[in-house]
Amino acid sequence: MKAGFYRLTRDLHLYLGLFISPFILVFTISVFFLVHTWMPGLGRVKSTRHVVSMSPLPQGLQKLSGRPLIETLKPALQRAGVHGEVGFVRRLVQENILVIPVTVPGRETVVNLRMSDGEATIETREIGVANALVTLHKSPGQHGPDIRMNWFYMRVWRWMADATVYLILFVTISGVYLWYVLRGERAVGLVLLGAGALSFFGIVYALIH
Amino acid sequence: MPSSTEPGSARAWAYFERWNRKLHFYVGLFLLFFVWLFAFSGLILNHPSWRFTEFWSTRTQTAYERTIAVPGPDVQGDLAQAREIMRQLGIVGEILWTTTRTDPSQFEFQVRRPGHYFFIKADFDRKRGAVQQSDVNAWGVIRTLHTFTGVQMDDPRNQRDWFLTSVWAYSMDAIAAGMLFMVLSSLFMWLKLPDRRVPGAVALGLGTLLCAVFCFGLRWFF
Repeated sequence: MKAGFYRLTRDLHLYLGLFISPFILVFTISVFFLVHTWMPGLGRVKSTRHVVSMSPLPQGLQKLSGRPLIETLKPALQRAGVHGEVGFVRRLVQENILVIPVTVPGRETVVNLRMSDGEATIETREIGVANALVTLHKSPGQHGPDIRMNWFYMRVWRWMADATVYLILFVTISGVYLWYVLRGERAVGLVLLGAGALSFFGIVYALIH
Repeated sequence: MPSSTEPGSARAWAYFERWNRKLHFYVGLFLLFFVWLFAFSGLILNHPSWRFTEFWSTRTQTAYERTIAVPGPDVQGDLAQAREIMRQLGIVGEILWTTTRTDPSQFEFQVRRPGHYFFIKADFDRKRGAVQQSDVNAWGVIRTLHTFTGVQMDDPRNQRDWFLTSVWAYSMDAIAAGMLFMVLSSLFMWLKLPDRRVPGAVALGLGTLLCAVFCFGLRWFF
């Protein structure tokens, strides 16, 4: 019974750990970019710009804001060939223009939609893999919960990000169990676990107090 | 005919395998609390609608004013002046620039550290420093620790200016490097298990495929 539980835990630790390892790479590699505000390849950004007609525009755009505005705009954006997660839509009142940011990991698109005639200037920037990792790291994130995750694929990513956390919790707990079973490694392991706890609580205490 | 170097290289290889396994345990145990913090706080950040993690609406606020000495001519620049005012007010933390200074006699800035937010307004004409302090609960601390780097990708004005922010930021680097090692060492250990290679390759392949769709694929599909 005990041996069976050990084998099952070891196998799940291995397979689930292998499954989440690419996700861990996404989250860890992007840490270096975020901590050092360094974005490799940003100098080679490819930018394109074109003008399309998005008319007829959906009714009631003037009165809408937030999520309803995004949901109303999405069919027109898709007709114009713009796909992705729509960000906070700004309204330039004097010019009667809607500025619509749309993100796909690795690409930023800004649609300037002239409300008077439905003409849209679409500027697309291919911002590279490093930026894609940062976008994924920060998605869905804490800001704009009412408007975020309005694209199916980013909703799927949210499930993936959540699953990564739950699997990390499983892999770490099972890892502690697998280590504890090895009597020969207990003493050194306990010292390192203690040293890690001391470092962690020491730094956190110093930051807070 | 076996090479004369084979026994030595085989020994070195066995030594490498043994230490790869040991270090996988050791690094994992040392980083355990850090990994739990970042995993759990990431989950909280991804679910701002979870009411029980609310921290801003339950903050405690205090406001006070103190007499301050106007920084002398030798204290040049916004950063040096902010540090001098913070020293006089007994506040420590990471400075956050949120407003542009238009009147040289008025100086506004924020100071943050996990759990504490200071909104400081210095009036050099009146020689007064007004402080609004907000203290948040443990959920607020956990959230802030996840993002407390002192820098922002889209705002070059904000740079790390507190020693402990740098310590924490470099800790993040170390944790990320440790996690990279954990992944690479686990791949090596898996490859040394012939009977686990196929199911392991399926698990790794599935994870890689899903990840690749988001990192590279969505740009090709759309």
